[in-house]
Amino acid sequence: MVTPDASGPAVARQSDEQVEESLYAKQEKIYPREVHGLFARLRVLGVLGLLGIYYITPWLRWDGHQALLLDLPARKFHIFSLTLWPQDFIYLAFLLIIAGLTLFFVTALAGRIWCGYACPQTVWTEAFMWIERKVEGDRMRQKKLDAMPMNVRKFRIKATKHLLWIAFAGWTGFTFVGYFTPIIDLGQRLTAFNLGPWETFWVIFYGFATYGNAGFMREQVCKYMCPYARFQSAMFDKDTLIISYIDERGEPRGSRKRSADPAALGLGDCIDCTMCVQVCPTGIDIRNGLQYECIACSACIDACDDVMEKMGYEKGLIKYTTEQAMHGGKTHIVRPRIVIYALILLTIMSVFTYTFSQRTSLGLDVIRDRNRLFRETDEGLIENVYILKILNMDDRGHAYRLSVEGLHELELYTDTNRIWVGAGEVLELPVRLRVEEDDLQERSNKVIFSLVATDDPELKTREEARFLGPR
Amino acid sequence: MAEKQIPKMQKCIAVLWPSFLTAIVATGVFFSAFDPDDLFPFGANLEISRLGVYTIGFLLFWLVSTISGIGTLYFAITNCMRTNPDSREQ
Repeated sequence: MVTPDASGPAVARQSDEQVEESLYAKQEKIYPREVHGLFARLRVLGVLGLLGIYYITPWLRWDGHQALLLDLPARKFHIFSLTLWPQDFIYLAFLLIIAGLTLFFVTALAGRIWCGYACPQTVWTEAFMWIERKVEGDRMRQKKLDAMPMNVRKFRIKATKHLLWIAFAGWTGFTFVGYFTPIIDLGQRLTAFNLGPWETFWVIFYGFATYGNAGFMREQVCKYMCPYARFQSAMFDKDTLIISYIDERGEPRGSRKRSADPAALGLGDCIDCTMCVQVCPTGIDIRNGLQYECIACSACIDACDDVMEKMGYEKGLIKYTTEQAMHGGKTHIVRPRIVIYALILLTIMSVFTYTFSQRTSLGLDVIRDRNRLFRETDEGLIENVYILKILNMDDRGHAYRLSVEGLHELELYTDTNRIWVGAGEVLELPVRLRVEEDDLQERSNKVIFSLVATDDPELKTREEARFLGPR
Repeated sequence: MAEKQIPKMQKCIAVLWPSFLTAIVATGVFFSAFDPDDLFPFGANLEISRLGVYTIGFLLFWLVSTISGIGTLYFAITNCMRTNPDSREQ
């Protein structure tokens, strides 16, 4: 019999040695029991929604091209009407930082709801377990099947499961590659058995990772491999939403007849049916308190509520709560931690939005001719030669006007009168600058090239360069 | 945490997995700064596509960080055995 712990369930009762042992013990396969209820429905909704987004997105079209194509071979990211170039990598870094901070913020507020509902590991494991249940049957049947020696029937069932898993994983890998190379073309080449070696490699690699992670590794990924699972507790405080068993109400636990009066037997509300343990995908007992293995999937809440209903007891013996609330306090949603996380997040988001709005879809690189520093022309002028790389990152072509400033009576010569760059193209333009030697103040002088689109004065950029002379 | 107490599989994952994540980041940063076509002016003869160069780059990054991970693990374990000789017998 376990007595209620005064320090509350937030402190796991296992001693250090036990934890150590469970960490390094040989893994036993976990057969989670299927669970029905409010949170299970929410998760199925989440799983279907997220898988839907993943598998459908690469097939969406926008303006005649794939709506979301991170075209690595062409070094261009198409996101609807937006085209991002390698020099826009900073925005991707920004987005990753924002995503990370959002995760911190959500964790402080609502605990590990990411793990329970949205993490790809959870989502694909859920899908793989669904296939497993359809093929092998429920928990007891799975256990029995695994325990029996290999025979024709077992082989047939196992082979079916693995074939379905492999097909699903293969499709997942194909979709993954479809984000990086045009998926319709990829599909056509796949059906013609004409995939390139690298594409084949990545389809198999990603498919294999899916098959391994969702089919076999499952909760071990969360326990041993996930960095977030290791440090998420740093974001927790007394007001963070957690899933907890209410010790005071449940203990002392014990089985009893449905008609029995628990008070007369000296029992709490927990009937020790172990349903909460059986449904747990990570194989823990939530009644031992908050544990880092818990991915907050709330399967135990659904299972326990179901039992409580059958027993005619009040629901919520295991529920979403906070440490504060469990100790009779009031949960504070607005608190310093939340405010600080929110402020940091808002600042980064504002900086991102501002810099992104300032992003111009025109790039200019000035490269000096490497062969000679300068040349003196027949007229006695000093000449420098440059190659301008004009990068039109817009989705339509433009004509540009080029000018230069920085030196007195600086003359600009190009081979062409009209500078035209098509959508998403790079123009290499040789340019010569000439100036009177007397106008040079130093050996190395600053000049500034300005480029502006003739049809859109807002579309402009400037780039500094050096003009070298004999002085 | 002596050597024998950690299963081989877990040691493999402890090395391969973080180096995998590192390799993804390194590949992303490296190839957004350098275009394979500019990097290897003679590589055109080999006829390796950009996707191929990315893949090889990623695998090389993975290899390098794996080697570093093995080093870390080796030093951590041997140091643990030196300071805690009892653990060798377990």
